[in-house]
Amino acid sequence: MNNPHHLNPTSLKSRFTTRFLRALTKIRAQKPISSSSPTEIFRRYRRIKVAADKSMAYSVRSRRIWSRAMLWKLRSRSYRRQDPCSGRRSGKTNQAIMKKSSNENTTTRREDGVGFVEEADELRQLVPGGETMNLCNLLDETAHYIKCLTTQLFSPIGKG
Amino acid sequence: MQPCSREMQAMNSLLSPTQQIPLQDLQPNGNSGTHQAQIHNPQFDPTSSHDDFLDQMLSTLPSCPWSDLKSPWDPPKSDETPPSNHDNNVGFHYDEILASKLRQHQINGGGGGTTAAMKMMMQQQMMLPGRLIAAAGGGGLTMPLHNDIVDGSSFKSPNQQGGEGSVQALYNGFGAGSLHGTNNQSPNQPQHFHHPQGGNMQTQSFGATAGTVMNQSQASGSTTGGAPAQLKQRVRARRGQATDPHSIAERLRRERIAERMKALQELVPNANKTDKASMLDEIIDYVKFLQLQVLSMSRLGGAAAVAPLVADMPSEGGDCVQTTAGGGGSLQRNSNGNQPSANNDSLTVTEHQVAKLMEEDMGSAMQYLQGKGLCLMPISLATAISTATCHSRNPMINKGSSSNHPLLQSNGDGPSSPSMSVLTVQSATMGNGGLDGSAKDAASVSKP
Repeated sequence: MNNPHHLNPTSLKSRFTTRFLRALTKIRAQKPISSSSPTEIFRRYRRIKVAADKSMAYSVRSRRIWSRAMLWKLRSRSYRRQDPCSGRRSGKTNQAIMKKSSNENTTTRREDGVGFVEEADELRQLVPGGETMNLCNLLDETAHYIKCLTTQLFSPIGKG
Repeated sequence: MQPCSREMQAMNSLLSPTQQIPLQDLQPNGNSGTHQAQIHNPQFDPTSSHDDFLDQMLSTLPSCPWSDLKSPWDPPKSDETPPSNHDNNVGFHYDEILASKLRQHQINGGGGGTTAAMKMMMQQQMMLPGRLIAAAGGGGLTMPLHNDIVDGSSFKSPNQQGGEGSVQALYNGFGAGSLHGTNNQSPNQPQHFHHPQGGNMQTQSFGATAGTVMNQSQASGSTTGGAPAQLKQRVRARRGQATDPHSIAERLRRERIAERMKALQELVPNANKTDKASMLDEIIDYVKFLQLQVLSMSRLGGAAAVAPLVADMPSEGGDCVQTTAGGGGSLQRNSNGNQPSANNDSLTVTEHQVAKLMEEDMGSAMQYLQGKGLCLMPISLATAISTATCHSRNPMINKGSSSNHPLLQSNGDGPSSPSMSVLTVQSATMGNGGLDGSAKDAASVSKP
């Protein structure tokens, strides 16, 4: 490996960078850069953001709860865009599944016995897929999520 | 493993025959103590908690006379008398013994016949950090436990790179939060953050494990004693020793949560909060900050075209960045009257440097900026701030050339005029859409 940035070809950083680079080249190939109207810029920004989220979620695959939740969100969003009816259907069934699992494990307002309910709820909103986790798993997922976010920010792509 | 490797290097350099400090100056007694300190101090740079400990221990050496050393090994010197007994602080003895052994070997020339003793000393040296910290914590029972724990927690800090440290340093300044110029830390400091945190971590995990070990030992002692007592009446269980399965499960849960919180503490900067609730708040703010940064970076990428790493068209990205930098540079010349000339030159140089860095790696650009005590901020915010503080003597400067970062720090160098940011608005390729969005970002970032 003569790339000085990647210490380990199978590390999270290198997986994310390769995937993200691929996605960015695809985006670049699609549209010319000359368009500078605000809507175009915004659309482009959305595409890049989705590409970043997607490449990060795919680098982690299904090993983490938050990556699974993120992948599901991305897929349902793309389905909804393609075909509104099917999107609604799949969205409903998926939401039913999620609600059911959340009722099984927990109540929506968790009282964990440790006393950090407000903060935990806020953290659940931040971390994707956090609503269905108890505090213990939530902290675990948060740690991994933070690690992945910093990988994204310090990838050699730089997004600049 | 960094401290151990450093100590190994120090040991190797000390024991090598080629030494800068002349051997013939070493005397058996008083002088060698000071030489010892001189030898040790340049080798051990105290940037990690392990080395801090060792440095402290070793620096106390010259103060205590050699006659105080208790030496289980019989030294060949006849001058050394058996020392008085120190009941506490076994670790000190280990270190002094080791140092005396070292010195003796130095005086003897560090010959080849003592390789076995060298190896033993090396091993002793390797085990020292664990033993020292164990001794400081008190309780000889817990020493083997702590070796694992210390090694485990010390593994984490070397894994984190300097880049992440700069994000955390940025976040620190952001959290310190006022818009009126806080002085930023130097680039060396982000690495220092980890080690105090590592030190805190170790001492905390230290205290926690000592507590649990004590609990376990007490529990084992009391359960044997509690069985006959239960015949008479129901004894109320002491705290941390409940035998009820529900409370045991609760306790396990709490312990697991505490473990995870400790792991998170290492990731998040400003982790010196002892209160769990405030620690959670800190975690929440950090996650929000990181998400915003990712968003703003992708926005920057969307507006200014994808980075030159993409092989197709590197020139375009470079052009965009250069025009903004050029715009900024020309602005400096335009607003010459408002600023001293020395600031002008340094600012243009800095801007060019930042623009160059942004082409390759955003992270390094941010580190560079932070090292200079500057940051990027959205132009709308900069305009608002400059109009608000235009009349006050509080000087502020901002790099408006890259307008889409919602980082909220600033450091003062010279007064900024609203005209400067207006001109950068016109010259920037971002357009109005980006600015509106960034204004929203700026509003959401400020704390209520």
